[in-house]
Amino acid sequence: MSTTMHKKTSLKTPRYRAPAPLGGRRNPAIGQRRKNFQALGFLLPALVVLAAFTAWPMISALRLSFTDASGFGKEKWVGFENYARIFTDPVIINAVVNTALYAVLFTPTAVALALALALLLNDPRLPFRGFFRTALFLPFIISLAVAAIAWAYLIDPHVGLLNYWLGSAGIRIGNVLQDPVLAMPAVAFVAVWKSFGFYMVIFLAGLQEIPGSLYEAAKVDGAGPFSRFRHVTMPMLSNTTAFVLIFALIAALQAFDQIYVMTGGGPYGHTETVVMQIYTSGFRKLDVGFASALSYVLLAATLLLSVIQFVFFGKREREGD
Amino acid sequence: MNRSLTILTAVAAASLALTSCSGTGAGQANKEGSKAELTFWHGYTEADGKVLNKIVEDFNASQGDVSIKVQTNPWSVIDDTLLPALSSGNGPDIVAMPAERLPVYADKGAFVELDDFYKDPASNLDKLIPAAADMETVNGHKYGVPSGFVPLAMFYNKALFAKAGMTAPPATWEEWIAAAKKLTVDENNDGTPEQFGLGLPDHATVANGVWPSLFYGNGGDIVRDGKAVVDSPENAETLQTWVEAIRNDKISPSGLDGIAGDKLFSSGKAAMYLGGPWMSSIAAESKIDYGIAAVPAGPEAQAASAIGISMGITSQKDEAKTAAAQKFFTYFLQKETATAWSLGSGWPPLRSDIPAADVAANPVVEALTKQSEFGRPLLPGVVNSTDVLTAVDKLTQRAVAGENIQDLLRETQTSVQKILDTK
Repeated sequence: MSTTMHKKTSLKTPRYRAPAPLGGRRNPAIGQRRKNFQALGFLLPALVVLAAFTAWPMISALRLSFTDASGFGKEKWVGFENYARIFTDPVIINAVVNTALYAVLFTPTAVALALALALLLNDPRLPFRGFFRTALFLPFIISLAVAAIAWAYLIDPHVGLLNYWLGSAGIRIGNVLQDPVLAMPAVAFVAVWKSFGFYMVIFLAGLQEIPGSLYEAAKVDGAGPFSRFRHVTMPMLSNTTAFVLIFALIAALQAFDQIYVMTGGGPYGHTETVVMQIYTSGFRKLDVGFASALSYVLLAATLLLSVIQFVFFGKREREGD
Repeated sequence: MNRSLTILTAVAAASLALTSCSGTGAGQANKEGSKAELTFWHGYTEADGKVLNKIVEDFNASQGDVSIKVQTNPWSVIDDTLLPALSSGNGPDIVAMPAERLPVYADKGAFVELDDFYKDPASNLDKLIPAAADMETVNGHKYGVPSGFVPLAMFYNKALFAKAGMTAPPATWEEWIAAAKKLTVDENNDGTPEQFGLGLPDHATVANGVWPSLFYGNGGDIVRDGKAVVDSPENAETLQTWVEAIRNDKISPSGLDGIAGDKLFSSGKAAMYLGGPWMSSIAAESKIDYGIAAVPAGPEAQAASAIGISMGITSQKDEAKTAAAQKFFTYFLQKETATAWSLGSGWPPLRSDIPAADVAANPVVEALTKQSEFGRPLLPGVVNSTDVLTAVDKLTQRAVAGENIQDLLRETQTSVQKILDTK
């Protein structure tokens, strides 16, 4: 197997040389088993940590979601009662609607902005490219909570610098975070500002994977800049786009920090999201069973949306081939 | 040889990680006959914390049976870490928390029931201010001992009052609104005053006591005998009066929350503000010459919602520890200790037999002690008080934002009753 691979690749791309097979055992079967065993040994510490801190909490949360657990004392088995509550409680339904609104505001904006800036920064004619790349990536390094506090100060109606500047220009934006209509766009804006740099870097990496020969061929065929973007860049970027979209969507469904810091779910519930409800149910009301059920519903929704996206983009990629 | 060694090390490391994980669950057993060692979590982080820690030290020195170790964390950290700590068996034996949080934990069985302790004549608990003791009742039983009880008071900026030609703080609602109008200054006439007569937060205030205080003043309430009483003509009138003052006369900014309200007063942009004892240190730090007065009397009553801190004994521990914790509470409520605690913390005395004159050494405490009689615990014993207060918060925010008051009251009445019914 490995020898045929070796021959094939060396024939097609002469610059690439596969590394020599490890070990060099006479009997490949024994070597393979030994290698597997060895690999397992190296992986074991990580697997143990993963099992203890990821798999085990997930399994116990699933069990808790069928109980009325509070975190201490005895717990009672309540069956699907917690799950039934999720679909009937108006507070939870409000949070689900808000989360959907947040995802609609955040995901396309962040991804489109990241793609546009990646295309711009990928152009070799642009001066100071390195500087711009770093500068635009910078917000991603800051903790989301810190960014949220800073933005909340900037737009504070009484002490905010941004409000002061806009006020001198005659623009009054009022108390944005207390406005039932503007509060959600405001927190989504901060999240976009904070994270588009990360998606941009992923897009940049994807753009650099596209062979220049494709563009040259397209140019020869008479394709203009838009046509080249439409027929070369987009299909070649579909994997990257799928990844970024799924990533951004998961981030949107898990929105918490910036909302907790900036509005605390207010004004009167207009920015309350599902994760905020999980936190409130678990830590404020000590209703751990319900919080676990809510977590599992969120997990299921996230998985479903990711699978849909994956299938959609996977299909497009196959069609593009 | 080499390879099997690496595997061995890996396995060893893994089993080590496993054992260190499982080690956390085991609690420390208390040996029979030895000294009871208790841990005490509280969130008094300022000067009050030093006084409380001194009281604990003195208690430890006063006898040989019990030794209490104090762990200080901000209130919010205690609230966030108590649940995981208790469920892993590493929680504190005594914990102090904002009084409105006690029913949530008590209802889930996190605290030892203290009915017998309250009946014990040696416990000093019969000397408590009755309203403070009411705060500790959940489902008809006592679950905590108060370490603080104070009605909201009005803090006013003396310099701004002098500038407007006023000396005395208002005593009734009519005077209050008139004073607030007079103290509201819009120099450039742009519709946004530079100085507000009053900081009246419409949501997320400390213990959510501001609007309930106003409701009481006009004879209204939120919950009475386990029933929602939000939708009443009294409450409608109260909301009408204050929403008008905020929206039309701009006496206070709308959409204000507790933290922004504190800032508004401490930056000299609000002439009057409702708050607790901590406002005096906030005002002093910002060099504001302030006075303290009672919340002005409403048409029906002079009343203010009270803020409290409760101490509970967590039910994870054995009886010896419970007895030891009760011993500390008895010491804490002795007349001498209670007086020292009041003077040091800035909160009025918890015992009704300590008059204002006894705490005159601290003028803030003296002023607040005179108002103790107006204090009403907020939603005592209502287990889902968090949800009820959220509903009230929504009501006041939407009213101040200009929605129809009658509709809002009807809607809130339904949702509060539903919250009360779920438990």
